[in-house]
Amino acid sequence: MNRPGARLLRGALNQASLILFALVFAGFGSLSAKFLSPANLLNILLQSAPTVIVAVGMTFVLLTGGVDLSVGAVMFVGAALAGKAAPGGAGPAAAVGLMLAAGALLGLGNGFLVARLKVIPFVVTLAVMSIGRGFGLWLTETRALNLSNEFLQVGAARVLGVPVPVLLAGAVLVAATVVLGATPFGRQLYAVGQNAAAARRAGVNTRRILLIAYVLSGVCAGLGGFLSLAQLGAVSSKFGENYEFKAIAAAVLGGASLQGGRGRIFPGALLGATLIQAVENGLVILNADPYLYPLVTSAVIFLAVLVDATRTSLLAESHRRQIRVEP
Amino acid sequence: MKTYLRYAFAALLAGLALVGCGQSQPPAAPPGADRPLTFGVSFETLQTEYWIAGMDAIKAELSRRNIKLLAAIADGDANRQYEQVRNFITRKVDGIILVPKDAKTCLPMIKAAHTAGIPIVLFNRPCDPIDGFTPVAVVADNVALTRETVASLVERAQVGGGRHRAMVILGDLGDVNAVGRRDGFEAALKGREAVVEVVARVPSEWNQEKAQAGVVNALQAHPDIDFIFTSSDFLLPSIVSALKAAGKYHRTGETGHVWLAGFDGDATAYRLLTEGYLDATGVQDVYFEARQTVEAVLDLRAGKSLPGTILDPGFVISQANLQERAPRMWGAQVKKAP
Repeated sequence: MNRPGARLLRGALNQASLILFALVFAGFGSLSAKFLSPANLLNILLQSAPTVIVAVGMTFVLLTGGVDLSVGAVMFVGAALAGKAAPGGAGPAAAVGLMLAAGALLGLGNGFLVARLKVIPFVVTLAVMSIGRGFGLWLTETRALNLSNEFLQVGAARVLGVPVPVLLAGAVLVAATVVLGATPFGRQLYAVGQNAAAARRAGVNTRRILLIAYVLSGVCAGLGGFLSLAQLGAVSSKFGENYEFKAIAAAVLGGASLQGGRGRIFPGALLGATLIQAVENGLVILNADPYLYPLVTSAVIFLAVLVDATRTSLLAESHRRQIRVEP
Repeated sequence: MKTYLRYAFAALLAGLALVGCGQSQPPAAPPGADRPLTFGVSFETLQTEYWIAGMDAIKAELSRRNIKLLAAIADGDANRQYEQVRNFITRKVDGIILVPKDAKTCLPMIKAAHTAGIPIVLFNRPCDPIDGFTPVAVVADNVALTRETVASLVERAQVGGGRHRAMVILGDLGDVNAVGRRDGFEAALKGREAVVEVVARVPSEWNQEKAQAGVVNALQAHPDIDFIFTSSDFLLPSIVSALKAAGKYHRTGETGHVWLAGFDGDATAYRLLTEGYLDATGVQDVYFEARQTVEAVLDLRAGKSLPGTILDPGFVISQANLQERAPRMWGAQVKKAP
């Protein structure tokens, strides 16, 4: 394991997200000069902003060894509430409040069931996803809700030339990086994900950590949903659909492990989310055959999961005790 | 105690999830020669306004004919829909109306209904032939109606001269309706390459967020796009948002107007037509389809022979004929989009 080749491989695997990111950008950039234009790069960042935020929340949950399949439904419930409140005069400020509150509440529900009642995260969040979608459909009566221009203005607003959604995503990234890297909560989150029993024995309140992780995921889904709503200006019954897969893919592409206990918010979630968006953006710019989209996007995600599995296996091997039998 | 509580919560969650997605079933009609007929109606989803309008139109048609309704929604799950059809058969319904998920998963459902001797007709989505026979389906002529809609847009656009750069927003490529609309779009532009050049084909998977990102990307790559067709009016808000962001959202006749057409005829399309932003849309005549579907089930019960496909020709509505055709446009009749 200490051979230079193995060290190089491990180093490459640890930087896999960055390498994949560079390859995708170099590839599309070589095929079309428009892809690397500053306007398009900013466009990719703008479109990635909601995914970045939802992926940050998802990373918190993945770090605990869990998963949150309800984020798309949380986005939909929040958007449906905002859409229903809009005709009564509720503007973007009220909408963001409603969506954050809905996210926190549903996240609290997830966290309570996972942390207190020890129900498997997959089952809990799947059920909340189903209930949330049903509730949102009931709320909207499956009618499209078109919002006022105020929402689109928020989505298109810029400060010093930088779109507000990008600034918000940046703020969330910074805050989450600080929380994970420089607070006891962050360290405890990693500890719970790596070995919950050991963390409990060491005095970590694992229930509280799990609860907070799911609440943060819900809040991030609410905020991501708001940014998505501000760019779209409408709520349909499919709002947020399959977003959970996008967020999980972004987090995993960014280096978060599905096994828990490993992953970083920065640059991880940022790289993952922009990578997914960049692939779709590049394919549109090249006017690629529409049948290629799922193939190329899935191939990139599959590659990331493969790298994660290989890295996990290599790390496990390197940590195994080396016993040499003397001749 | 905690373990029991945990299991109780898990059971409650599973129960809620099932109830939330399940079918609603009023009691079966009592047996008897003079009893009213009962039809089972299973929709794959109610997640778009079109399906809601379709279900409402079928309900109204059944009610008009004094036929009882057993309704079920499969929420996109073909296995669940199969169970729903089996349930209809067990309850000995007199006919089944089905909106399948796709053209393949409906095959066992149709086989089961045939074995039980219950007539079954598909609404708006066809099924593949089965053992050399094509199940009866009432469907919009997606190819022809799209071709007609896009051709009408080309005719209007070419009046001003010049070569137009076009974008098409595609639906879910696993959906035969979406594929039909794509083929209709391509057919309309065949031989007109000198007038319209397609520079962007954006897949949406019937998802507004995906469509919005795709349209923004395409406008970024080709700022001169001035001709857009969307495979469903359901995606119009995505286009409007992207056009606004690009400063290209103008009424017909205004400088910089982007020629815009859609398909379906929903409430948003109606509003955009009245406001002058949408130029045309191909309207599926949902009332015609509902009437034909119910009639087809009754005809099959009476032993009549029917063609495998009953086509809804639909119609193209534009700003020019809006007043005349709006009464037949389902989007003009349903609750208005705000």
